[in-house]
Amino acid sequence: MITLTHFLIVGACLFSIGLYAVMARRNAIMVLVGIELMINAAVLNLVAFGRYDSEHYGGQAFALFAIVLAAASVAVALAIILNVYRHYKTINPEDINHLKD
Amino acid sequence: MSAIITLSLLAILVLYLGLFKARRALLPVSLLGLVATVVLYGVQWGKTAEPLYSGMVLFDHFAVVFSVVCVILTILVLLLSKDYFDKSSPHVAEYYALLLFSLTGAVLVVSFHNLAMLFIGIEIMSVALYILAGIRKKDFASNEAALKYFLMGAYSTGFLLFGIALLYGASGSFDLAAIKEYVVSNPQGISPLFYAGILLLIVSLAFKLGAAPFHFWTPDVYDGSPILITIFMATVVKTAAIAGFLRLFYFCFIPLQDFWVPVLLVMTIITLFVGNLTAIVQQSVKRMLAYSSISHAGYLLFAIVAIGATSANSVLFYVTAYSLSTIIGFGSLILVKRATGSEHFEAFNGLAKKNPYLSLAIAIAMLSLAGIPLTAGFVGKFMMFSGVLADYQVLLVVLAVINAAMGIFYYFRVIVAMYFKPLDRDAIVVSGPYRVVFFLAALITLLLGVYPAWLTGLI
Amino acid sequence: MIDLIWLIPLLPLVGFLLNGLGRNVLSKPLVGLLGSGVVLASFLLSCGVFAEVYTARQAGEPAVFIQSVFEWIAAGSLEVSLSFLVDPLSAIMLLIVTGIGFLIHVYSIGYMKHDAGFAKFFAFLNLFVFFMLVLVLGSNYAVMFIGWEGVGLCSYLLIGFWFKNKEFASAGKKAFVMNRIGDLSFLIAVFLIFNTFGTLEFTGVFPQAAGMAMGDTTLLLVTLLLFVAATGKSAQIPLFTWLPDAMAGPTPVSALIHAATMVTAGIYMIARSNILFTLSPVTLQIVAAIGICTALLAAAIAITQNDIKKVLAYSTVSQLGYMFLGLGVGAFTGAFFHVITHAFFKALLFLGAGSVIHAMGDEQDMRHMGGLKKHLPITYVTMLVATIAIAGIPPLSGFFSKDEILAHAFSANKLLWVLGFVGALFTAFYMFRLLSLTFFGKFRGTTEQADHLHESPASMTVPLIILAVLSAVGGLLNVPSALGGGQALANFLSPVFADSAAVTGPFHLDHSTEYVLMAVSAVGAIVMAVVAYRQYAVKGTVPKADDAPRGVLAKLSYHKFYVDELYDTLVVRPLNALSVFFYRIVDRAGIDGLVNGLGKRVGESAQGIRLLQNGNVGSYIFMMVIAAVLILAFGVFNG
Repeated sequence: MITLTHFLIVGACLFSIGLYAVMARRNAIMVLVGIELMINAAVLNLVAFGRYDSEHYGGQAFALFAIVLAAASVAVALAIILNVYRHYKTINPEDINHLKD
Repeated sequence: MSAIITLSLLAILVLYLGLFKARRALLPVSLLGLVATVVLYGVQWGKTAEPLYSGMVLFDHFAVVFSVVCVILTILVLLLSKDYFDKSSPHVAEYYALLLFSLTGAVLVVSFHNLAMLFIGIEIMSVALYILAGIRKKDFASNEAALKYFLMGAYSTGFLLFGIALLYGASGSFDLAAIKEYVVSNPQGISPLFYAGILLLIVSLAFKLGAAPFHFWTPDVYDGSPILITIFMATVVKTAAIAGFLRLFYFCFIPLQDFWVPVLLVMTIITLFVGNLTAIVQQSVKRMLAYSSISHAGYLLFAIVAIGATSANSVLFYVTAYSLSTIIGFGSLILVKRATGSEHFEAFNGLAKKNPYLSLAIAIAMLSLAGIPLTAGFVGKFMMFSGVLADYQVLLVVLAVINAAMGIFYYFRVIVAMYFKPLDRDAIVVSGPYRVVFFLAALITLLLGVYPAWLTGLI
Repeated sequence: MIDLIWLIPLLPLVGFLLNGLGRNVLSKPLVGLLGSGVVLASFLLSCGVFAEVYTARQAGEPAVFIQSVFEWIAAGSLEVSLSFLVDPLSAIMLLIVTGIGFLIHVYSIGYMKHDAGFAKFFAFLNLFVFFMLVLVLGSNYAVMFIGWEGVGLCSYLLIGFWFKNKEFASAGKKAFVMNRIGDLSFLIAVFLIFNTFGTLEFTGVFPQAAGMAMGDTTLLLVTLLLFVAATGKSAQIPLFTWLPDAMAGPTPVSALIHAATMVTAGIYMIARSNILFTLSPVTLQIVAAIGICTALLAAAIAITQNDIKKVLAYSTVSQLGYMFLGLGVGAFTGAFFHVITHAFFKALLFLGAGSVIHAMGDEQDMRHMGGLKKHLPITYVTMLVATIAIAGIPPLSGFFSKDEILAHAFSANKLLWVLGFVGALFTAFYMFRLLSLTFFGKFRGTTEQADHLHESPASMTVPLIILAVLSAVGGLLNVPSALGGGQALANFLSPVFADSAAVTGPFHLDHSTEYVLMAVSAVGAIVMAVVAYRQYAVKGTVPKADDAPRGVLAKLSYHKFYVDELYDTLVVRPLNALSVFFYRIVDRAGIDGLVNGLGKRVGESAQGIRLLQNGNVGSYIFMMVIAAVLILAFGVFNG
């Protein structure tokens, strides 16, 4: 029997993996993937919690919104990364540090 | 609600205008649409507010006032943008449309009654801004700002979404009234998930507000973005972020304030010191203003630390005072940079000789930011501080007053440069719209400083 | 007339706006007329207001009038109204500020005639008068704070006005830092008062405070904070070094802001809040101690200064110290009396010095002056009056006010009296040294300057004469009962200090003791005056250059009298040595070093924080994750 707790644990693991990817990756695309993992962990939680909200299905509806918005921001992100690559010839976020104190 | 629909349609209309090469119509149409939105809000004023669309949004006085503030600030920004972007890009329509979309997001953030709307509002506001930060496609700094803003912003979205999921899991609803009901009816049995959710929301909202230790994006992104976009981020976005923050916490989380106030207290103090100390050593006015905006985020957080019935009024007043001065500060920087090519303090040297009225407006703005009496900034700080005192956070007030004193040093560097550093320079040409914006902003700053009652009784 | 109180501050504000906005349009005479006219109008109104207060006092009423203009800040429990309070204390301050302010405006018409920023100068001067009046008239601490901050701002602007480029950065900045520390402490005190009493109105705070226990901790804290604020504005240890540097500003500014009015704001504020201070004896002791130390230190430093305005600046600091001494020993009337007389003679001294500087073609070094008596007769006579007055030689005004403070000091603590007496000796010495170096002996300037020497125009000498008369007879305001006087001022002010008097009980000192004290201080002052006169006028000693070691003074060329030798060894040389010591060690190295060090610390910690802002997204996110983890960990332990 798979309980709510299992979903939550998977969600928390996904979130942490995403977090790690954001911190450890030297490639903007992979960082993006990490962020997507974080968002999807939250989406997974939403759907899991939605199981107990059978009246409104709020969790499911919210999950759809979240997925759509995540897709939109990925589109924007890819455009930005492409543009950055044109100028800097790299997409390693660590090399893009001209703005600093 | 009609206001949100108007804004969205306006943004789409502006896009189409761009498609049909009607560049000259862009600004007038946008301004007209925004004025119409303000009027629509005005009509709504005073009616009893009911949650609309299955409880998605609620246009109470709080929402209306902060929405109007956001719209008016956007009008001022648009006035400054005449001929600002025409020079850099052939596709100006997208700039206007994105600003309007971002504004729509901001309006949703201040009027949400359901966490879904908070999330959607923040996303609409931010995604449009990611693009706007990088709208100068050929400029290194602009590109870097966009990338940094996006990476950190999307990452904070992860926290926001996860936090909302946890709140939903504990309370079973996204509706603010239902969440409040959950908190009030289970004083003992509140799920740990709920607490974790509150903390994650603090993290993500503090990020949007630019409060330490989640402020790291602020100086770099403000610095790299085109100045006009920086103005928008520093005023409209900050207003929306603090209003949304306050709305959520005032509505739902007051019974749990013993839990989360200590966290915010520490963050507030860190924010004040980071903002003020770092601003003192800056050489560039743009970065100085960026750090100063961090410190102002700290003062704004006072209202949430001392959350109560008066918080909304204090925030409204503070944010108005701060935004007006910020518009003058950054706006004058546009002119100075255009004339001298530099953003440093030295670029302001001797300005008072050649542009006395511009200098006067800048001086008023700096005095207001520094919180000198008879300007709106002083009244704002006074309200914030006394609100905290009522909660017996005397230590916080003492630290804040020390910070306010530090703040005066870097704001005065601008005044000293303008008035006391001699330099032969040519007068800066101040175009009509700039004159109007600076005059209005300076005038309102003084009026509110002398007679604050115009604004303090609104909410 | 009382209904028109709001006009008193408003008129100078109108003057500021007209002069400020029309500075390129209005002609110079018109600017001068406008600038002085509005202050004159305020002065006339103040006279009317004073007359009403006086009549009410004669009728035995407390004479407190409050006029509320409008509700200023109202948010929740916080209600602050913009309202004005006239009582005997503020009525007198009104007369000083507008009266002396008017004279100095008139003087400035002549003094600033050739300056390019004539209109701007008058605009700032008007603005200053406006803020000073707001400070004086405010009926609560918040309105007082508007004035408090405003006068500081104007002082800063007016220092900067003159000192366009070079040293301004450091002089203005120092004035700024020190005033900021004071303002900051004032603001904290304001919030603390609001927190304790639930109101900021004087009429609400003081009755509540009067019911509190002696030595209450909150009162102690509030009064200490207010006192720190006062040390900033009124240039006391440790925040006094900005005042001598502020002499960079034009001379009328020094007279108005840095001698007669703004610097007395701290004394006014403490006198206003007297009941709070009376109920915290620890603070009063600190006030007295700081006051006497400042009085001695500054007087000692003044002895070797060669810049005529610097001498007067240190003298101001020293006299302010006396006023604080008076406050500290509970002589509220005496301290305020000294505020009044000091305003007369110090404004006169500065304006006289301005007249000298004007005649010398902007020369301020006394070593290049001398023998100006015959060229500037009016200036000489008026300055002589002021010098006698400040030295405390009877029957001029300074004697009476200083005597009253010293008498209270004597009954509080004999040591305070001795120190105060020593300070008075110093005062007589450096003032007569100034007078002798400037007006007696041979002229030591260039021939060019000698040809140029002239008495100042009437717009400058008439204010001097009026102030000289006031300095001479000002003492009659409050002749002590020992000399058969009626203590008019004390009676007039008594309702303001009634609560404090109820706590401390009446002040009493034997008439015979008082005669002895008066005689001692008068004789001492006269002796020191003679010593200084012999040394610098008859013998013609000229101080060495600033950087020359002072021991060289011993090799003075010739000695006419044996007695001079004695004086030199016993008095002059020790005094000079002491003075140089204080100036070099305490003033320049000690306090300035402290302030600079503070700035350095701030800079260093800022550099530390800046390291975090390294431009690298990865490290930003890493730090944010750590912060988030810490917050969640807090949640785990707390929830």
